[in-house]
Amino acid sequence: MWLPLRLTLLFLFLLLSPRALLRSGSAAVVSGEEEEFHEELLLKPLPDRKVLAHFHFHSIAPPSKSNGRHHHLFPKAISQLVQKFRVKEMELSFTQGRWNYERWGGFDPISSNNAKPPGVELWAVFDVPEDQVDAYWKNLTNSLSGLFCASINFLESSTMYSAPKWSFRITPGSLRYGTLPREAVCTENLTPWLKLLPCRDKAGLAALLDRPSIYKGFYHSQRLYLTSNASVPAETVSGISLEQTLTVVLQPNSPSSSSIHSGESNFQPSWSLSSIFGRKISGKCVIAQSSIVYLQLEKSIFSEQKDNMDNGPNSLASEGFAGGSGFEMSLDPDIVIEEENQSQHKGSSVLYGFWVEKYNESQPLDLGLKWKYPVFWSSQQAPLHASRFLMGSGNERGAIAILFKSTNSADSSSGSRHVSDGCELQVDVFQVVPWYIKVYYHSLQIFVDDEAKPIGDFVHKIQVSPSKDKTSPGMMEMLLKLPCDVRSAALTLEFDKGFLHIDEYPPDANQGYDIPSAVISFPRFHSVMHLLSNDSIRKSPLLSRFQEKNRVQSYTEVLLVPLTTPDFSMPYNVITITCTVFALFFGSLLNVLRRRVGEEERYLKAGKKKGWLRVLLSRLLAKFRGKPMEEPDQPSSESAPLIGKKLVLKVILVAVLAVAWQFYST
Amino acid sequence: MAEIAESASTTEHPLGTVGASRSKASPSALRESDVDPKTMRTTTPGLKRVFLTFSVLLSFLLGFPFLWKTVEIYRSPLPFGDMDALSKQIESSPLQFPCHFQSVFLNFDSRSSGGILDPRELRRSILSEMTKLTSQTLERQCGSCGGNFTLSVVVDSGDGPCRLFDERHGNGLTPNCSYKCGALGALNLGDDEAIDEALRSALDESCSDYGGKLYTVVVVDGGGAGEGPKALVGKHRHGWISGRELDAEAMIGRMAEMFVKVFMNGAREDGAIHGEFMPVGADGRVVLSFSLLNANPDDWFYDWDFQRLDDTLLNPVIEALKPIANISVESQVLYHTPKSSFSYWDESLGSYIFSTKDLSFFVNSNEWHLDTSVAAGGRTKILQFVVYVPSAKECPLSLQLPSGEISKTNGFISPMWGGVMVWHPQSCIKYSGSGPPARLLMHPDDLHRIFEVLMGQLRQLFGLKSNSIYVGAAGAYKLLPSEKGFTEWELDVLSRQHTCFNLHSSGTTLGSLSRLVQSLPRMIIKDEIGKQVKFSLEAAQLAQTNASVGLYEASAASSRQARSLAEDAFFHPSIMSVSYFSFEHCFAVYSPFFLPVSLHVLLAAVREWRRYKHEKAKYVRWKVKQVKAA
Repeated sequence: MWLPLRLTLLFLFLLLSPRALLRSGSAAVVSGEEEEFHEELLLKPLPDRKVLAHFHFHSIAPPSKSNGRHHHLFPKAISQLVQKFRVKEMELSFTQGRWNYERWGGFDPISSNNAKPPGVELWAVFDVPEDQVDAYWKNLTNSLSGLFCASINFLESSTMYSAPKWSFRITPGSLRYGTLPREAVCTENLTPWLKLLPCRDKAGLAALLDRPSIYKGFYHSQRLYLTSNASVPAETVSGISLEQTLTVVLQPNSPSSSSIHSGESNFQPSWSLSSIFGRKISGKCVIAQSSIVYLQLEKSIFSEQKDNMDNGPNSLASEGFAGGSGFEMSLDPDIVIEEENQSQHKGSSVLYGFWVEKYNESQPLDLGLKWKYPVFWSSQQAPLHASRFLMGSGNERGAIAILFKSTNSADSSSGSRHVSDGCELQVDVFQVVPWYIKVYYHSLQIFVDDEAKPIGDFVHKIQVSPSKDKTSPGMMEMLLKLPCDVRSAALTLEFDKGFLHIDEYPPDANQGYDIPSAVISFPRFHSVMHLLSNDSIRKSPLLSRFQEKNRVQSYTEVLLVPLTTPDFSMPYNVITITCTVFALFFGSLLNVLRRRVGEEERYLKAGKKKGWLRVLLSRLLAKFRGKPMEEPDQPSSESAPLIGKKLVLKVILVAVLAVAWQFYST
Repeated sequence: MAEIAESASTTEHPLGTVGASRSKASPSALRESDVDPKTMRTTTPGLKRVFLTFSVLLSFLLGFPFLWKTVEIYRSPLPFGDMDALSKQIESSPLQFPCHFQSVFLNFDSRSSGGILDPRELRRSILSEMTKLTSQTLERQCGSCGGNFTLSVVVDSGDGPCRLFDERHGNGLTPNCSYKCGALGALNLGDDEAIDEALRSALDESCSDYGGKLYTVVVVDGGGAGEGPKALVGKHRHGWISGRELDAEAMIGRMAEMFVKVFMNGAREDGAIHGEFMPVGADGRVVLSFSLLNANPDDWFYDWDFQRLDDTLLNPVIEALKPIANISVESQVLYHTPKSSFSYWDESLGSYIFSTKDLSFFVNSNEWHLDTSVAAGGRTKILQFVVYVPSAKECPLSLQLPSGEISKTNGFISPMWGGVMVWHPQSCIKYSGSGPPARLLMHPDDLHRIFEVLMGQLRQLFGLKSNSIYVGAAGAYKLLPSEKGFTEWELDVLSRQHTCFNLHSSGTTLGSLSRLVQSLPRMIIKDEIGKQVKFSLEAAQLAQTNASVGLYEASAASSRQARSLAEDAFFHPSIMSVSYFSFEHCFAVYSPFFLPVSLHVLLAAVREWRRYKHEKAKYVRWKVKQVKAA
């Protein structure tokens, strides 16, 4: 049905007045504020021989009255979503794997912002009156579900989301928070996420995203964070800033040469972009304002080298890549940014920047890192390491325990040095529990340094909204104040396991039920990188994001609670057995009612009348035994010899044969 | 127990040959007794157990309807008869609106061309021409006037007498609405736009007699020197034919054609999109989504200032189309979006060529993520308009028509989907500077040309002509384009078709719903569906009545409502979800109880009845013996 247009169009009317209007704006570049797009990639070797790759894409739509209708770079779908659902702030993350806080760090901006709980996490702040928030949330989840090919629409049900007040995030307005711990994340979620980028994965940094290599990593988290600034004049629609990040932790398949030659496994594996992704960067996405690759290295690496080798580099930046130190970069960086060393803080680092626009197809960017000496360092840790586990056994009750362990005594004291004597460590705990885990909040116990302590001593503020069956989940927000020298602290909460209705069970009910991660944040600690301010830093959204003050936050493990699962054919079994019992009862009742006792006794006395069937049977039996048929004047209780010893033996023999046959034939 | 009872009762049973032989043998043993207990009894058989078993059986039978009632699923009563009738009626006789025409003969009596023109005669001959045209071409076209039209004829001789013939008023009288004699003075026949305006002010269309929808054709004698008569159709509801030395009789054919082909039928040609494909959503909303696709931004990439285009040029069009659809506009620019068909270099034409055969592969649904709009509701129609900027390696890219020439618009449409247009930069020289190419803004003149093409595509999608010449059987007509994109008479045609299409669609939807519901007896029909069907039928009825009176807008509104309600009912989420609860399921749940119990009850009843008959016979035999003995 494709119909070509056949003739010239003669819409002369257009050639009159509006042309003058249009001509005024015919400059080569659109004036005024424009939509922007930035792409950046941060690479960071991790202490446990893995590599972190953090892609950061930033799209900005300035406030204008055509937002949601006319766009040049910014994804139309997101803009319309924001307009339609009045979203002020929203974060959606798809994660597979668990961020290893102990090894990969728990204090830096990446781990606080981009380490996410497994599955899907969504929270949104709406710019609507409080009574409409739930309706907007439901519509938003359904839209996102369609947009990202995920079952985010399950968050629609009021049993799946909650409204944290202060512990998760301090935002004015109405926040809703929901997680789907069991959502499987795969390419079908990545493709729509990439579709929001102007170059998708056709060009620029996103072209590195080779699906097999990123999905075989240890951790994979794709995230979408948007804010719309509402503080604009009424006639223009608010501007939107969309931040898309993809954080992957990959194991560089260590080239066999290095490990064999060195003969020891202490060497950090050398890697390059092409070895970890299988691709190279062949130029930037032309639409992007900036396209930079950063390599982040901990400063402690240098200091160790200084110890190891005598010719310690004075200027780390210039010497680091020059070959004098323990590693070698395959390319010269275009910019070196050092983290400002305020204190003797351990985790300061150096960033090497590479401009992607200098590279093209014939000369692709393939950044590589080669270690010369074995290097050890450790990532910076959050003051407390939180983990969560289940206690108790059986299908009836149990307990949730959240355990905080001090990561390093020296570290924890340094973090709160400013507080002098009554030094205390503030910890926010936000925990959502599904309604079928019936938590008894009064059973909250706290153990500090393995001793049970009264709750009032440590719990500074607590807010609990108990779950309502099939209506809302239970939510607990808690502000703990622990002494700085605490070694460990534990919270326990007892719960009963509820029963679900038969059709509320998920398809794989025997797998167990997930309790979403608890969010542990440290309001006094902020993950900030103090970079020496520079023009290039101000332009880079990734670095400016690193310089923002965000509180240190971590997620605990997802818990798997086994619930009693019924036999799902049970309804039919129950129906069948009750019906059979009823039928038996009914039949016998009916027979009893119409039984004639007197008459039967009379017949019994008469005795000789036998049914033809019985006569036939006795004759057959007689033949079977080889005896002459007995006369029918025998008493009617002739069935007694019927169960003779021989017969029983024969039956048993046959049964044994059958069982043996059955057993051996299979 | 049952067996004992059976053996007791089957003594006289035809089955028991043994029993029969025994009864022959036994009388000798029991002869001394008076009463043989096998064949006779002295007391009347008791009715207790018979009564008991039968009452149980009866209560079961009586309980059955109640059980059936509880098992039964709820089905809201749907007016199946009305639904089928509506769909049948719409199928068989498409909706026809009344149309009112008027023809004015101006300056005709000044010359004697075969005597004074008689309006009655003229009317008769025009009508016969029109009937001929309607019967031969418009076999039941949806939304046309069919044979349902009126015509009035005015002969204005300028300074002389003015005669009028009208169906209702007969000869001589002047109805409110028609042409006022002498209203048209001297016309400057050189300037088409000026005539259009003059006619518009003369033919006062604000009158309410025909709902303001009176189509007029004016035949003016005079004006331009001689290349024969010139026929034009204005932006409003009139057209005119001018020429020197016009023969009134000869003009009749053209006039009839103008009425029928242009005003009634929208000047569409055969092979244009059929009227049923009206790209308007069920909720009466349309989203026009404009996308600029840069096939390879590494060569060059263009941006456009669509906001300005929207404000200045698109807005009037959207305003004009408001009676038909509620239109919203959005635009985006996409990158790295190659087409999926191949093109080849043609030396003689000096450009890369894609032919009409490849068009179905041109749209690359993998890479062109022309998203459906989040802003649009579920039933909003989205029309995609795509401007494709080819990459440098296929740069002058042209569409070759089957005739071998290059398409001038370089675009094509796909009905109900939208249109595609290829635009390439003037010089196809690849950017070769250092660093990545800069963003280029499309020149306003280019934007204008693109917009013209896209508007033409929009018109085509609505089934209208994209050029301004209509060639009929009797001659060519020039159609004056409106600055709004759609002229008033075109909008009338569209709204008639829209109404008709909506009614048609609601009729077929309701018809299939009725068939579906009747074919699935175990489907739950909620009250809401019943209500929607009822309201939809009412709205359809209203639309039909309004249409027959000639109220275009009102009938369009209610027809839209009818369609949207019918689709609501058909796509109600409850319909598909519960039709799963089958009769077999019901059987599986209830049979474990009812099968054994009913066996017991029936058997008991049968046995008791048989026994009772048997005992009764015995008693009767004794009675007879007693009587004999007596």
